[in-house]
Amino acid sequence: MSYLDLSIREIHQALVEKKTTPLELAKEALERAKANNDNAFEMLLEEEAILEASKLVEPEEDNLLWGIPYCLKDNFSTKGFETTASSNVLNGYVPLFDATVVSKLKEKKCVLIGKTTLDELAMGGTGTTGHKGITFNPYDPSHTHMVGGSSCGSAAVVAAGIVPFALGSDTGDSVRKPASYAGLVGMKPTWGRISRYGLFPFAPSLDHVGFFTRDVEDSAILLEALSGRDDMDSTSSFRPVDSYLPKEKSLKGKRIAVLSEIVDAISNKEVRASFDRAVKAMEDEGAIIDYVKFGLQDLEAIYATYIVISCAEATSNDANLDGIKFGAYHGGKTYREVMSNARTEGFSHLIKRRFIIGSFALMRENVDVLFTRAQKVRAKITARVNEILKDHDTIFLPAAPSPAPLLSASSDALSDEYLIADNHLALGNFAGLPSVTVPLSFVDGLPIGVNFMCRAFEEKELYNLASAFEKISGLAGLSTVSPKEARL
Amino acid sequence: MKEINMEVIHDAAHRLLFDMSESGYEMLLKEFDVLIQQMETIGKIEGLEDYEPMTFPFDCTVDVLREDIPETPLPRDEALKNAGNVQDHQIKLPKVVL
Repeated sequence: MSYLDLSIREIHQALVEKKTTPLELAKEALERAKANNDNAFEMLLEEEAILEASKLVEPEEDNLLWGIPYCLKDNFSTKGFETTASSNVLNGYVPLFDATVVSKLKEKKCVLIGKTTLDELAMGGTGTTGHKGITFNPYDPSHTHMVGGSSCGSAAVVAAGIVPFALGSDTGDSVRKPASYAGLVGMKPTWGRISRYGLFPFAPSLDHVGFFTRDVEDSAILLEALSGRDDMDSTSSFRPVDSYLPKEKSLKGKRIAVLSEIVDAISNKEVRASFDRAVKAMEDEGAIIDYVKFGLQDLEAIYATYIVISCAEATSNDANLDGIKFGAYHGGKTYREVMSNARTEGFSHLIKRRFIIGSFALMRENVDVLFTRAQKVRAKITARVNEILKDHDTIFLPAAPSPAPLLSASSDALSDEYLIADNHLALGNFAGLPSVTVPLSFVDGLPIGVNFMCRAFEEKELYNLASAFEKISGLAGLSTVSPKEARL
Repeated sequence: MKEINMEVIHDAAHRLLFDMSESGYEMLLKEFDVLIQQMETIGKIEGLEDYEPMTFPFDCTVDVLREDIPETPLPRDEALKNAGNVQDHQIKLPKVVL
């Protein structure tokens, strides 16, 4: 244990009392990063981190993030540093500006340690498809289980205790699912709460900035720092930024909806039993639990709706990765050949597959029955989610139906377990609602998590609930460096 | 829904300006068997006449203009830094009009 393993507030206190320094923290984070073998980094920024940390001498007492080291998913633009989104198509691309979230963390004087791996262009949920290969789960030294994706590297570096927090992005569940597999708090706030300027778009109607921390208060501290209107992102909200630090940590009288079809679809008995214990413990704390039927047919359509909308948006968004406007140049005799060479060489098969699916959904003969219909299904599903949240403070569910799957496992893509229990976190992206994953317990030594989702812009309520749950689970501050005993 | 076959996939790839290996095309055609079944779950949803296609989670229409802030334009060298082929301070590409 070292200062690096404490909560952000505790590290801040140690910095203010000069028991440690940003430089010591950065050096230790870099040492841990170099010793780690989970393949979580696109690049380490060793010299830059040491230089920046060295400049931080006089602690800012009112700035909890002063001198805190962190990592960043490699799909956020960083001025002067290569940003590839783990795709060969962007090899060598050096942005000329910082993403707004990067600027905000610079203003807070956080120290960027490195940029982390992702599934190529953030399209994927396994952490296996980036151009640097598989990113592994720090809880599995045998390297046989995935850490999940697409924000695989960011999940791994926080779980391995390298940094107290890391930024990711979440289009379907790309922060909240790996958070479950890596025993972390994974947060995706309301759509529009955090500016996405400088985040490479995948599917902008679904994309969110998200982040991993080791406890709920750290997550709230980050949300306060990153939220707010940004004129560089026209979809960012004008709503004033609240104070999100959890205060009321009681579950007494809270109405909690559990979607019964999703829980019933889970075949892993230990996950189900642990979740049932969590529900019982929350009831014992005074929460009112309602098992609510969502509508099986609508839930079964989540995955296809997500695939159609996200692939269609991606096909359009990534048209600019053509070796001329963006992307590695591979030559060619005509401009079409330049573009074709860049895209043929740059994208992996999996990305081309997504683009063809998106293109198929947008073909003249299909656009009404696939794309427009998927947008209507999204509207119907969103209306149902909001209807449930009219009568309940939150929707509470297992974040995933199992602990981290084996890397060799193939999913049964048409089973209810896959279609419903493995994809329900996309509900938060469809509706743009705040949603946080919190550690629940362990199954076979691997972490599992639960997820809370609240009404739009009710992040404060979300953190109160998550914080109350954290007290029950006893897993605040969890990492492989700071193991904890599960209670549920 | 348009019938999916090898010709449709080849045509889509061509329009998207990339190519794949023959085994890649064959793998994708097989994957479409499952994908089409998944996509049919969308077709089963009833009562959609009451819903408009949803393009964003919330209304995000804005009509504000950013403040005019005078600033130094991007230096030429920096602007050309990411270009693949540069000659005489210009990005060199094949002729568009032949």
